[in-house]
Amino acid sequence: MNKGLKTFAVLIAAAYALSQPAWAASVKGAVAFTGTAPAGKPVNMAADPTCAAQHKTPQMSEEVVVNSNNTLKNVFVYVKTGLEGKTFPVPAEPVSFDQSGCHYMPHVVGVMVGQPFQIINSDSTLHNVHSLSKESKQFNLGMPIKGMKIKKTFEKPEIMAKVKCDVHPWMNAYIGVLSHPFYAVSGEDGSFEIKDLPPGTYTLEAWQETLGTKTAEITVPESGEIPAVQFSFGS
Amino acid sequence: MNLSKSSSLLFRFSLFVTAMTLLLIAAGGLVTSHKAGLAVPDWPQSYGQWMPPMVGNIFWEHGHRMIAGSVAVLTLILCILVQKFEKKASIRRLAWAALGAVLAQALLGGLTVIFLLPPAVSIGHAILAQTFFCLLIALTFYLRPLDGRISRSSERRSPEDRGYVYRLWICVAAAVYLQLFLGATVRHTRMAIGFHVGWALAVLFLIFLGVRAIHNSAPPESRWNGIATLAGVFAIVQFFLGIGAFLYTQVLPYDADIPSLGAVLFASAHQTNGALVLGTCFLLALRSRE
Repeated sequence: MNKGLKTFAVLIAAAYALSQPAWAASVKGAVAFTGTAPAGKPVNMAADPTCAAQHKTPQMSEEVVVNSNNTLKNVFVYVKTGLEGKTFPVPAEPVSFDQSGCHYMPHVVGVMVGQPFQIINSDSTLHNVHSLSKESKQFNLGMPIKGMKIKKTFEKPEIMAKVKCDVHPWMNAYIGVLSHPFYAVSGEDGSFEIKDLPPGTYTLEAWQETLGTKTAEITVPESGEIPAVQFSFGS
Repeated sequence: MNLSKSSSLLFRFSLFVTAMTLLLIAAGGLVTSHKAGLAVPDWPQSYGQWMPPMVGNIFWEHGHRMIAGSVAVLTLILCILVQKFEKKASIRRLAWAALGAVLAQALLGGLTVIFLLPPAVSIGHAILAQTFFCLLIALTFYLRPLDGRISRSSERRSPEDRGYVYRLWICVAAAVYLQLFLGATVRHTRMAIGFHVGWALAVLFLIFLGVRAIHNSAPPESRWNGIATLAGVFAIVQFFLGIGAFLYTQVLPYDADIPSLGAVLFASAHQTNGALVLGTCFLLALRSRE
């Protein structure tokens, strides 16, 4: 009986391995910014003393964040076309989305359709989380208690679903909802990495909340290196 | 308490409730202008409490709820007093209508929160606020002391003229009401701005005709001349407040999340003054009927 089970398990594993692409690559790149970096708008947190007390230095809005190396932070890069008709398992692990220092952390985030999206309140003040999604059911949740956690899911892909706090109007964030896991958000050095992309030809799109979108065509070969993808936004 | 004294107190109390309703309309305008309508996600409580911390935009939304609650209680008291002291069945029915309107208004306010500000419900909430205000104006008008009521013998106008003035002011009040509906549509959908601006000119002209008709028919010492003039002044002020609101919300850069102080002040003042225009025009229509 045990031997039979083992054989069955090996067969299942072999079938799964054969069904997977032989090669999956990481697509790396960066998002450059040219021109004069826009002056950030100062955020006035005086309306909630709990928020103001958490910051010793003036806070700036996060619409356009230009890094010290002239790259952009918070650009959502994802595979726009090339994956049609394919399905991908939805991770059970939730995407974490925190309200901390009266800011959303992160400001731009990706999640798969159906994947748990865990919203946390790390602040000692009240927040509401108001989804302005145009594709999935909107929600407006009160989170009055520090440490409170709520899980939500998005039903349909959307670039991008806006989330805001109506109590603290400077707080907003954007969620890229996708039917696949091939996305990344540029970091503090402007770089991004999309992991495990199977061989094929794709259109990548880089989305920035005020500067718009840029696209790039890429091909992931059966083997070998993939050139770094460069996006560039201007002021 | 003798009847005359109780009537006078009832009139004053009704006047007070009407003034509070104007304050409530102003507070509602500030909620919309600050984009604070969903700062409190639950209803009737606020974050599961009756008195949440008044931080950020909760100040505007919960403040509006507190004033609304006070007005609802005051309207209930007014309704009870009217049932007790007023003889005319029509006035007693008017008090019931006002109470029904304020309760319906509270329900609509709750629906705007629960359904995340659907424009139709938000516009309905805005218009019912004006309707409730008019009901209270009518109630206060009919509760006013007898010695203040109009003496027809002092009128300079013929019955035909009276019919004309009445019809004219009914048209003016209806035109202003429609204009407030268009204004609410602009505010909650950012659409129909052309209709709103175009109709504003028609309303101004109608109010001018109405003011002139009152001045031509009422005796020079009549207080109604002053009220008619006031309606005209409110209308002119409203026109310029509308220009300010248009500039700040449609022409100048407009941040939908954090509206500028100019946008907040002009839009809120435009909405509140709109209630004053409607209120005075409706009052003059009521007066012209007598």
